[in-house]
Amino acid sequence: MFDFDSARKLVEVDDLKMYFPIHTGLLRRHTGNVKAVDGVSFDIFEGETLGLVGESGCGKSTCGRTVLRLYEPTSGQIRLDGRGLAWGNPVARRVRNRSDRVGNWAAGLVFTIGAGLLVGALVRGSVTGGWAIAGLVALVIALTLAALYGAAYVSRRMLMSSEGVSDKDFAPSEGALRRLRPTMQMVFQDPQASLNPRMTLAGIIGEPLSEHSGMSAKEREARIYELMDAVGLNRDFANRYPHEFSGGQRQRIGIARALALNPKFIVCDEPIAALDVSIQAQVVNLLEDLQERLGLTYLFISHDLSMVRHIADRVAVMYLGKVVELAPRDVLYDEPLHPYTRALLSAVPEPDPAAHETAQREVLQGDVPSPANPPKGCNFCTRCPQVMDICRRIDPEYLEVQPRRFVACHLHYEHQETAEATAA
Amino acid sequence: MPDGGLASVLDVKDLKTVFRTRRGEVHAVNNVTFHLEAGELLGVVGESGSGKSVTMMSLIGLLPQPPAEIRGGTVRFEGKDLLACTEEELRAVRGARIGFVFQDPMTSLNPVFPVGFQIVEPLRKHMKLSKSKARDRAVELLELVGIPDARRRLDDYPHQFSGGMRQRVMIAIALACDPQVLIADEPTTALDVTIQAQILELIKELRHKLGMAIVWITHDLGVIAGIADRVMVMYGGQVVEQGPVKELFANPKHPYTRMLLETVPSVRGDRVERLRVIQGQPPILAQDPDSCPFRPRCPFAFERCARQNPPRLPVGPGHDAACFWNVDTGAPRDV
Repeated sequence: MFDFDSARKLVEVDDLKMYFPIHTGLLRRHTGNVKAVDGVSFDIFEGETLGLVGESGCGKSTCGRTVLRLYEPTSGQIRLDGRGLAWGNPVARRVRNRSDRVGNWAAGLVFTIGAGLLVGALVRGSVTGGWAIAGLVALVIALTLAALYGAAYVSRRMLMSSEGVSDKDFAPSEGALRRLRPTMQMVFQDPQASLNPRMTLAGIIGEPLSEHSGMSAKEREARIYELMDAVGLNRDFANRYPHEFSGGQRQRIGIARALALNPKFIVCDEPIAALDVSIQAQVVNLLEDLQERLGLTYLFISHDLSMVRHIADRVAVMYLGKVVELAPRDVLYDEPLHPYTRALLSAVPEPDPAAHETAQREVLQGDVPSPANPPKGCNFCTRCPQVMDICRRIDPEYLEVQPRRFVACHLHYEHQETAEATAA
Repeated sequence: MPDGGLASVLDVKDLKTVFRTRRGEVHAVNNVTFHLEAGELLGVVGESGSGKSVTMMSLIGLLPQPPAEIRGGTVRFEGKDLLACTEEELRAVRGARIGFVFQDPMTSLNPVFPVGFQIVEPLRKHMKLSKSKARDRAVELLELVGIPDARRRLDDYPHQFSGGMRQRVMIAIALACDPQVLIADEPTTALDVTIQAQILELIKELRHKLGMAIVWITHDLGVIAGIADRVMVMYGGQVVEQGPVKELFANPKHPYTRMLLETVPSVRGDRVERLRVIQGQPPILAQDPDSCPFRPRCPFAFERCARQNPPRLPVGPGHDAACFWNVDTGAPRDV
């Protein structure tokens, strides 16, 4: 079992929201949002595997991609190893927008005045000679650029001190983000679709190396072979193309590519869903071996609850854009607190005919509501077998009801309130 | 060999289907023999490429020929050999006497027609019902599969239904003409677990109401354990083991079945530290059909397995396995 007390938080996600705008009508006006991820908070400790489970469309893949900053989040904070990957503070984003606007205005002003004076001088004939004109044009351009960046910088500094925002609240720029990419990588679901069919295996695994490291061709080749050994691919296959491999082997290529830059954190987005049952175990065992050897931290996204139980240290359950329950693996599977977790677990058919006869099935009625139009109150209130009046009015808070057990449900919220009341 | 009892409604013997490709022949179905008793649910388990879908498609002539070629065997259904039937005769069987449900309801429903039209079509074709009678029956069917507000929803198009509801519509179409046999090919694979649980409950209920025999194809051992009466395990185009569900899950006799059951982790039972692995890759079917298809991955394989393809040997009441090795005693069977 994972030791949480001595572990360090590697990934911190706080109130993350990722909305995709809906544009409708002739003018493509913004009429709503698909709330794919709607206020999700969790931490991932160094060296642990956090399982993220949920049904299709609940936002688990979007969540994984947003954490890696493959999307620009609508709001919320993401920190990897203490460094912010998104806007640490909504005020900072406003400061950036306003100071950029000030810079644009200043540049516009300087350019208009400079160009006006120059044209005036030319018309009056006080400036003659090619070199003099060229020099003045260059001067106007230089002053404009200086105004653009200088005014933006000065106004940002001023706004930052007046609003109380510090440098680390700003999201990293594209360039800074790119320099952070080697520490965080992804393994995709469909190994067929995520490997370029026109590149050889060596080309695919070597691409991150040539993009992000200054290795010589020789060093790169050595590293490619080392990675192929690590994931159990025969070195003779280096010059073959993805279509020559089976599904399980292709997934190994995807894993080798993710490992190329020695990442600390890997998001595995349904890495075994497209594989045959007898191959799934091979890939899961490989991921476990690599974690042990390289000290990796995983966010393991899957809809396969039995596989998540095997690989994860803690499990987060998502429903309609929100994490409804997060707990260490064993307690979550043994005594789930949220009614959705309970229903989800009881819906998994067990490969044992005797268990089916005694099983207490909780079959949920109806379908998942649309994330563009979630119900009022708790997102699960339309299907919940234990729905109460309050659930239809107030969205339950996501609270730590027991040490390391988070749940968003009024059943447990009230329970806690009464417990506090009796304690008092 | 399992014998087709008196009550068997479908009797398949030595079915052999090959695909002709440029690189040679692919033995997709190799001497498959099974029967289906009236009212029973036969689960067919296997990985992709094990031949489970191709078997079912060959027996009712849904495979394009060429490239497929049915090399031999008999399929007895209602006193006829389906393999000897003309296309005309087969059409009277398909959709009427044998119903189908496929994996992905979005690709098997026609997106440009309302679902009502698609349910009414087989009723008008096979049962020669009048337009209004057929429509009434369609409403009845949608209510049977649990679609609320059925009469109004008849005129909705497939995209207006959710995945689970679409699969219910598919089941309604398959049941339209009161088939004797329903073949369901991975009907819940594309669905979420909570929706899958709904469909499984529905099928259990309908079986009791309508009393038809069902062939349920899946790769999910959990689904099979909950729903089937009898299980047939396929590997490399062959039936490797067959038996009553409880017996097969408790005492698997083929090394493949045994290892497959061990590789699947459980949600409720004991948690293992490390998953058991079946080494190697699933077979390429172009191989020689005269040796055991599981031989390259089998820890018990010996010289005879390369020489001879093991026949299905009885290992218990109604239980047979195609293996020369006795996994319990750890010695070869003398046959």
